[in-house]
Amino acid sequence: MQTKQIAEEKLDALRRFYRCNKRLPTYSEMCRVFGYSSKNAAFRLAKKLIDEGYVEKDETGRLTPRADRFGIPLVGYVQAGFPSPAEEELVDTLSLDEYLIDKPEASFLLKVSGDSMIDAGIFEGDLVIIERGARPNNGDVVLACVDQEWTLKHLHRRGKSYELVPANPKYPVIHPEGELTLGGVVKAVIRRY
Amino acid sequence: MICMSSLITIRNWPRAIAHIDADAFFAAVEQSIDPKLKGRPIATGAERGIIAAASYEAKAKGVKRGVSISEAKVLCPECIFLPSDYETYSIYSKRMFSIIRRFTPVVEEYSIDEAFCDLTGLRRLYRTDYRGIAVKIQHTIERELGITVSVGISLSKSLAKLCSKFRKPKGVTIVGGRKIHLLLERTALDAVWGFGPNTVALLEKHGLECALKFVERPKSFASGLLGKVGREIWMELRGECVNKVLDGVYSKQVSISKAKTFTPPSSDKNIVWARALRNLESACIKARRYALAPRRIVLLLKAQDFSMRGDEKKIIRPTSSTNELVPALRDIFEAIYRPRILYRATNIILYNLVDASPSQFNLFSDPDKLLRNEKLFAAVDDAASKYGKHAISFADCADLKEQHSGSRGRRTWRRSNRDKGESDRKYIGIPFLK
Repeated sequence: MQTKQIAEEKLDALRRFYRCNKRLPTYSEMCRVFGYSSKNAAFRLAKKLIDEGYVEKDETGRLTPRADRFGIPLVGYVQAGFPSPAEEELVDTLSLDEYLIDKPEASFLLKVSGDSMIDAGIFEGDLVIIERGARPNNGDVVLACVDQEWTLKHLHRRGKSYELVPANPKYPVIHPEGELTLGGVVKAVIRRY
Repeated sequence: MICMSSLITIRNWPRAIAHIDADAFFAAVEQSIDPKLKGRPIATGAERGIIAAASYEAKAKGVKRGVSISEAKVLCPECIFLPSDYETYSIYSKRMFSIIRRFTPVVEEYSIDEAFCDLTGLRRLYRTDYRGIAVKIQHTIERELGITVSVGISLSKSLAKLCSKFRKPKGVTIVGGRKIHLLLERTALDAVWGFGPNTVALLEKHGLECALKFVERPKSFASGLLGKVGREIWMELRGECVNKVLDGVYSKQVSISKAKTFTPPSSDKNIVWARALRNLESACIKARRYALAPRRIVLLLKAQDFSMRGDEKKIIRPTSSTNELVPALRDIFEAIYRPRILYRATNIILYNLVDASPSQFNLFSDPDKLLRNEKLFAAVDDAASKYGKHAISFADCADLKEQHSGSRGRRTWRRSNRDKGESDRKYIGIPFLK
């Protein structure tokens, strides 16, 4: 027995509240905004808003707007005048995470030990980001499993077989016998000073 | 050859529900980050002395979930025992679910290592049959995470769960409507989801020896003997999808249970009480996170000899404010605690959960005080998100130390190898390879 849709004024009041406070009202604040005398009415309205897809509850139970239906402008909202160019710019920023990691589900970290890759700029203690399941190109730095240990080396193709080439003349080139197990391809190196 | 008389339904795919179950999940994660462990018998759970998960190499020697470490050492002397690294397991679990969500948005995170998902109608999108989709999901998870899963696809959740168990590890079992009877013929009653030992014993008394015999009886037999639950299992096993795939991140909570074993065991009243209270605090934190409030509270005390005492109490006004539940807990505690008994664990269960928001004040309570409590615990939770769980806690619990991280509970490799800028509270949410 679904009846009326949610009145546009109510949505507008919520949008106004959202613009001023950058969040949706709590139940008691909804009572104030809509003049309800009980929180139950606010609860019912919230349920309706959720059912109709305007808002959703986050894991703490707070209401958050759904951008698609609730209609929040992507550009930062300012009270008067022109949209702030600074905020407009910030909408499309990458976090360092996003910058360094293409496939979050397949990315792993490894703390580098040893100095076999120093000429490639990979030092002991560095963190490398490894993407599992990525297809390596010739010359890529890969994580290979040799003698049940992870090792970082350049992967080079020699005819039908592969060799693992260190970036330090002190170490020999490894010619894996039989099957070569790859842990992934190195996508980034992180070093904190 | 299909025997027509035992055919249960002629519709092959009215619905396609998949159950995806990771193989020896905790052990597989450990093997995936440490190549030294590949192909070797390993088990997790060293911190509590009981195996939580064993690799297939260890399982072959009889080491399995629930076996004590000392027993396991006898069964398989070369087995490697590792402390459980729940941080890393949780990250893997989340990743597994998000990989499955690439294939279909309707995914139910049923437990840390298993998911249900609805694949109905996806054959055209992926231009392959359901087996093809199952294999695709399986390969993607293995390629990106380095762990294997078993996939079962059938017409309902109950059947899908039977399928994923049918071939393991790395199995794919697809059973369409016209082949259900072949699966059920090979399914023992106790393998059916929802049939416990008592139900199985009851059904055996009626001369049933496998799941097929159960579904061949009329519906009235199932509901007459086992009620609504029995009828639903009967329908699910016949390929009618009664239980929908609940695609929220969390399925609706029915009860909240917090149980913790503490070492060494204690008969000190204050210590046992503090343990019980700490569990209540944890349970209330969870209740508040889901905006739920219990109508009933249970306290169980487990003694060193594994005997158990417990009782429950009704809460007059459902609430998730810890201090309003403490008097009820204290009443139960006073009633069941016995001096001179060594206790090893306390367990709190909050159940009959209701929505926390629109709670009625009763005639004799002071609404002002109750609202203040609500605010108080909102602030407690806020502090916890900044300074760690139980940053603000009852004074009775002040002397409690963190369990399972001392001498016996070896710290996990990940915990003892934090990187610069990481702490035990805040660490990088990406698994480290060893």
